[in-house]
Amino acid sequence: MSEDEKFDAIIIGAGPAGSACAYTLAKDGKEVLVIEKGDTPGSKNLTGGRFYTYALEMLDADLLKEAALERKVTHEQLMMLSGDRGITIDYYDPSFNQKGHTPVSYTILRASFDEWLAGKAEEMGAVVVCGVKVDGLIEKDGMIVGVIAGEDEMYADVVIAADGVNSLIAQHAGLINDIESHTVGVGIKEVIELSGKTIEERFNLKPGEGAARMILGCTDGIHGGGFLYTNQESISLGCVLMPEEAAERKISVHEVLQNLKMHPAVYPLLEGGHTVEYGAHLVSEAGFRGIPKKLYRDGFIIIGDAAGLVINTGYSIRGIDLAIVSGIAAANAVIRANDTASVGPAYITELENLKLIPTMKATDGFFEILETPWLYDKLPNLGADICAYLYREDGELPGSIKKDILKLVKANGLSVFQLAKFGLKGVRSL
Amino acid sequence: MSKTIVCYKWVKDEADIKVNPDLSVDLSKAKGKISDYDKNAIEAAVQAARLLAGKSIGLTFGTPKTKQSLKDALSRGLEEVCWINTEAAAEADGIVTSKALAAAIKKMDDVSLVICAEGASDTYARQTAPRLGALLQWPVITSVSKIQINGDILSASRKLDDCIETVKVKLPAVIAVLPEICNAPIPGLKAVMAAGKKPIAEYQAGDIGIDFTSKSQVSGLKAYAMNRKNIILEGDTSEKIASLVAALKKEGVL
Ligand SMILES: Cc1cc2nc3c(=O)[nH]c(=O)nc-3n(C[C@H](O)[C@H](O)[C@H](O)COP(=O)(O)OP(=O)(O)OC[C@H]3O[C@@H](n4cnc5c(N)ncnc54)[C@H](O)[C@@H]3O)c2cc1C
Repeated sequence: MSEDEKFDAIIIGAGPAGSACAYTLAKDGKEVLVIEKGDTPGSKNLTGGRFYTYALEMLDADLLKEAALERKVTHEQLMMLSGDRGITIDYYDPSFNQKGHTPVSYTILRASFDEWLAGKAEEMGAVVVCGVKVDGLIEKDGMIVGVIAGEDEMYADVVIAADGVNSLIAQHAGLINDIESHTVGVGIKEVIELSGKTIEERFNLKPGEGAARMILGCTDGIHGGGFLYTNQESISLGCVLMPEEAAERKISVHEVLQNLKMHPAVYPLLEGGHTVEYGAHLVSEAGFRGIPKKLYRDGFIIIGDAAGLVINTGYSIRGIDLAIVSGIAAANAVIRANDTASVGPAYITELENLKLIPTMKATDGFFEILETPWLYDKLPNLGADICAYLYREDGELPGSIKKDILKLVKANGLSVFQLAKFGLKGVRSL
Repeated sequence: MSKTIVCYKWVKDEADIKVNPDLSVDLSKAKGKISDYDKNAIEAAVQAARLLAGKSIGLTFGTPKTKQSLKDALSRGLEEVCWINTEAAAEADGIVTSKALAAAIKKMDDVSLVICAEGASDTYARQTAPRLGALLQWPVITSVSKIQINGDILSASRKLDDCIETVKVKLPAVIAVLPEICNAPIPGLKAVMAAGKKPIAEYQAGDIGIDFTSKSQVSGLKAYAMNRKNIILEGDTSEKIASLVAALKKEGVL
């Protein structure tokens, strides 16, 4: 293609959304240009840790066999911390990794996963340009017709913004406003290197299998939580905090992570490891209600995190799979639409067909549940108090368990009514 | 048409090199990059070729992994690259490297100028340019911070310890440039896209016809760690100054 020719699509960002979209379009023979600001795809993306495989199967079942993945998650864990105490619930399910079936989810390291997926799009024929940042969009007669990068302009029938959370490109196009601090969390993550054998011993894992753990009560009472994923030869440990509350309380997210690392129930899992990566990133917390009113304009669509497509349920974060599904939806829309004007509406139809928007809607209730302030300190403390009560024996005549537990509920500044109401709200909103 | 050749090296990115507690060096996670100083040299070659109304060509001698560098080099404005692809490059010393490069340069006609960086960012041996000059029997100018070209006369400013020396040579010549020769701009979108379509010439070891066995071999690689005294001085400012002076005296520094 000569330089002044036009691409069928320009994709901004080679994260999972952008690469999945490019892969699908290129596979269909479309001329695609992907522009990524990082020196390599994924070099700036060190978020996350777990990936649901259905999304890759949807993209291309063959890809799963060679994907850059870490461990198959068979241990789903929830950890509650209070002071130096900790409760860990470990749900082990070997069927999550059944022979002959696709494992439900894998732990992943984004640097290698993103580079691999972008490489696949390139193999399909997409042009992937790294180390170049898109600065703006070119508009003509109310339509987006291309992108500006430095001194260069490049044109396409459709421009697809896959530039992640707080998308500057979507802001440029007027589809989203500047970020609202109560709708995003600040996440930080460390990758700590340890031998595979040590990880398997410490987490009681079979070779190749892994654990995914969400951690409550590690945020000094601030809305947020921690996560831990076991990779082949490293552990991803991090936490997400609501920045407004943290700023009010003058607590930094780094401190929270440092305290989490040093927690006596966590430190033995990491001991002897070396931190090899460290980074911070925003994560959308608003779920369904965080999706912008419009996901397209003439000649322009937004996908993945740029479109707010993240689900945080408190027991899991899903963004990578949704990014891929939205990338497929966008590509299908471009492939199927007859003219530029119908691409946007076709994209919305595809998002419905691929069950993405309905899934976001179905999980909307989590937003309010997670707004409950006592989830982050009083509840973990109550849990630990109850355990301490149940497990401590001193040879004395036991009291009435019911009465004693009620006392503990009260001592933690909670009431049975509150807990019941929370339960009901949970049932109703989901 | 006149050709300006720039030699560049694909090195390990020092940011990814890990030093183990026993001072052994872990290179396994290190990604590659074009040696930083070579990026300035590449831009210098692009500019020089323009002055000579000729072509700029990148030349690299490296293992199969060096392939990753070709597009980056081309996106920096070079018109072609030439790659000597052999595993032997991993063990090559200064002699082998310059023999391989010289052999490739001899295959090209109309070469007016060969540019190297003063040293590579990994070994900084500063051998390539002088050796190339000897092998090609061309004049060599090292430590070059500025060049001017007038017809077939190149004048270069050499940055020495305490003075700037200006030298003139008749082309063809080999020069070794310092990073300040010119900036190395980050390639833009169109430059990167255009790179994908530029010609790449690849030579295998057999095409070069030299003996690739190195006379010098690397027998060990160990990190160097400064032994710090780790003395923390306490007290108010005047006390701290007094104890600092005392400590320096004790070390024999003052
Ligand atoms: C701490 C944390 C933990 C998480 N854990 C999980 C998890 O376990 N599982 C999960 O599924 N999700 C998780 N997520 C969410 C997940 O990371 C995102 O939903 C996912 O990365 C979205 O993919 P994307 O392709 O839309 O955007 P990104 O992955 O953010 O990719 C955007 C790309 O665009 C590039 N870019 C941006 N601007 C420009 C520009 N102007 N020009 C060129 N390129 C540009 C960026 O460099 C980047 O490569 C987590 C997020 C955080 C912050």
